[in-house]
Amino acid sequence: MERVARLKLILWTFVGLAAAVATARFLFGLGATTHLSDGTPWGLWVGFDVMGGVALAAGGFVVTATVYIFKLEKYHSIVRPAVLTAFLGYIAVVVGLLFDLGLPWHIWHMMIYWNPHSPLFEVGWCVMLYLTVLTMEFFPVPAEDFSALARVRRFLIKFRIPLVVAGIALSTLHQSSLGSLFLIMPYRLFPLWYSPILPVLFFVSAVGLGLMMVIVESHFTAYLFRRKPETHLMGPLGVAARWVLILYLALRFGDLAVRGQLHYLAGGQWQVKLFWFEIAVMLIIPLVLLFTPQFRKHSNWQWATAAIATSGIVLNRIDVGGLADLSRGNRLYLPEWTEIVVSLGIVAAATLVFLFMIEHFKVWEQRPADPDADPRKLPEFNKVGFTWLGTPVIAGRVKYSLAFVIAAAIGFFFMGNPRGASQGVEPTPVHRARGDVVYLNTSLRGQNNGQSQPVGGAEGVLYLDGDLTGWGVTFYHQKEIERNGGKKSCVLCHHMNMPHDRDSGCYQCHRDMYLPTDAFRHDWHASPSGANLACIECHAKGYPRTSAHVKPCVDCHKHLVPAGATIKIKTYTAPSYVNAMHQLCIGCHAKVAMKENKPEVARCVECHKGKLNYSDAENLLYRRRALAGRLVVLPPAKVSEAK
Amino acid sequence: MKAAILTDTTKCIGCSECVLACKKINHLKEDVPRRWDSSDGLSARNWTSVIGEPDDKFVRKQCRHCLEPACVSACPVGAMHKTELGPVIYNSSKCIGCRYCMMACPFGIPRYEWSSVVPYVRKCILCYDTRLKYGRQPACTEACPTKATIFGDRDELLAEAHQRIRNNPGKYHNRVWGEHEVGGTSVLYISDIDLSFLTYGEHFGDKPLPQTTRVAMEAVPFTFVGMGMAMTGLYWIISRRMKLQAEQAGEKPEGKAGPEE
Repeated sequence: MERVARLKLILWTFVGLAAAVATARFLFGLGATTHLSDGTPWGLWVGFDVMGGVALAAGGFVVTATVYIFKLEKYHSIVRPAVLTAFLGYIAVVVGLLFDLGLPWHIWHMMIYWNPHSPLFEVGWCVMLYLTVLTMEFFPVPAEDFSALARVRRFLIKFRIPLVVAGIALSTLHQSSLGSLFLIMPYRLFPLWYSPILPVLFFVSAVGLGLMMVIVESHFTAYLFRRKPETHLMGPLGVAARWVLILYLALRFGDLAVRGQLHYLAGGQWQVKLFWFEIAVMLIIPLVLLFTPQFRKHSNWQWATAAIATSGIVLNRIDVGGLADLSRGNRLYLPEWTEIVVSLGIVAAATLVFLFMIEHFKVWEQRPADPDADPRKLPEFNKVGFTWLGTPVIAGRVKYSLAFVIAAAIGFFFMGNPRGASQGVEPTPVHRARGDVVYLNTSLRGQNNGQSQPVGGAEGVLYLDGDLTGWGVTFYHQKEIERNGGKKSCVLCHHMNMPHDRDSGCYQCHRDMYLPTDAFRHDWHASPSGANLACIECHAKGYPRTSAHVKPCVDCHKHLVPAGATIKIKTYTAPSYVNAMHQLCIGCHAKVAMKENKPEVARCVECHKGKLNYSDAENLLYRRRALAGRLVVLPPAKVSEAK
Repeated sequence: MKAAILTDTTKCIGCSECVLACKKINHLKEDVPRRWDSSDGLSARNWTSVIGEPDDKFVRKQCRHCLEPACVSACPVGAMHKTELGPVIYNSSKCIGCRYCMMACPFGIPRYEWSSVVPYVRKCILCYDTRLKYGRQPACTEACPTKATIFGDRDELLAEAHQRIRNNPGKYHNRVWGEHEVGGTSVLYISDIDLSFLTYGEHFGDKPLPQTTRVAMEAVPFTFVGMGMAMTGLYWIISRRMKLQAEQAGEKPEGKAGPEE
């Protein structure tokens, strides 16, 4: 397989994965597909896609300035690829932004609602305008092939110099304003990154990155299409980049020195290590390479240098954009794989368009001849490819489509249940209320002198913390029974009994702390090892087999709902444990508060008295394991006094 | 009048009535712990929370309604707005969801509806739409059974706060939180414990945060014009010099510079 075809296959795979994630992103929201949180609202999509993307696309304005303003005509051959890279880069930024914005369909609001104080407003406008400029700068290239567009093309070429000047000015503005974004949050950035001259630093590094990116792009496409590398052109670009990087180095450390932050450099925080890593990759290694003549003149070394510097500067953008501030809030932000896949997918899609443009339009002086693309090429069979998929072009399409579809399927598979993930609620199984239930048949007759003496004298007291965290409510079961009139009051709360049970606990149906659960075990009823019922025993014949046309449970389970139950069951989806408890308790408490004019009865703190460390002796061993690291003590003695 | 709230943490009993009242007036649904929640109890469905500190101390957290709010300055579409009355309110119909306000807020207040497909920023708006506009005090201060959090004019509340500190020597920290930080906030605290955990970070000054970006933003037009003029000038000088060189070399200048490729 040719290099281009192989690369395209990989790119289409990433695009396929990203497409799957994109579906989930736009159907279920940011919560389903990102690891962002209230503490770290900006993540990889801002750090890499937007900030890194804009910086990577800086090659456009640097090269147009070199050729059209500084009149260095020998670089003319790299103008078109550089402008194309910038154009696609900015499109990629906008696409990335559409992913990251919570309300992407409102992106045009920036045009009508103005807030000139906001750096982001300025960035938005500049990107918008610069993208227009880039379109007009690049449009003459594809227009060459269409004679109908000749007039438009001539018109645009006439305005080239003003366009180039506007492009440079706009780039200067938004490259630097991306740095200004962070001026307002001095507390979020580590002092080694926060600086009042962030805008200047961003602009200077963008110029360096622009030069480096041109080198990377030139050598990479030369490798791909087996062209002669433009080593002689890239050498001087490297020299120019060298001075830019030195200027940046001086500015960066000079700024730290002026602000008296140098002492941080010796610190042991991980941010300091990250800082040194960033400086090494971004400045020191490239500078050493660029100052060594034999490296500077060799195409492979040029490529390596540029690639290292490029990743270093992108790393700088990611650092400022949030990496150096990972632990803000109470949790660590690390990008979810879905975020990484989308970022890669956008880059991959942009690269595919880039390759398409190179192959179909006159981006280079000569369109590359793809040796594989010869339609008259005869079929070749090797040990793997037994099937003739058609001419190389057709075969390519088949393979890319297959890669895309398979990748999308894999993406969907690994995302699991994005709707569930979008709620951000972890399944939390509910456990039986702790403490000792005094059963009616013994306690009401006053015969609780049996074998299982409750620990600490907390007789008939339950501690309701379904997830065993200790944050719960002490429920005086015995007292409630007595207060509400003995045995007949059971149905006030116990509104459903599991089959063959007489006093089902709440936790038996309300099985999750925060999520609704299904109280009906469909699979068990249908399974041969369970109830082994045929479908028609419940689902009426001739009707769709849905919950709408089904025999009610009480038809078989006569004792499911106790007589006189106050809570009527309408659906077998049990609300979450927390909701069930709140609805059950608060309703009565509110009524009592109204009736007896005691507002405190309905207050949260009336029941939620803070964290309680609770355990009973029976399951102490088991719970010690379950509550690893949590203190386990016996219930307070005042419970028994209260009784 | 500048609407403000004074919270005296020594009076707070942690009953969370303010939280409930807030939920009721703003029609907020029940809160469940979600994986993007922070530890302070604030979320898109909890616009105020009561933080339990050691020794039965309670601190109520809510939007501070800064006098010069960073979120208002940051929002690119002006969805955040500081009203005349004092509250910082949010216009969801303008919002584009960039979450710059959340990044900019020095108190880490705005919350996002991460679970929603149409997510909005959520934070306390001091009951501006529902009560303040009609001359009523916010639901939270009205609900407070111990008058630990009270509503009033900012200047009066400041005087009151200083008076309480003066009248009870040794009881309070000698500081009104919110008097000067980031240029002052509408929500003030007096307390017997250190409340610096309510703010972010070490470089927290009294300077309003919008000033930090103002310098850069004011330079924008000059940079644009300057860069444009510099580039045009350079272009002119260089083309002229090249033309002269070409003439000196005795050749006819080859047409005009440029468009041919």
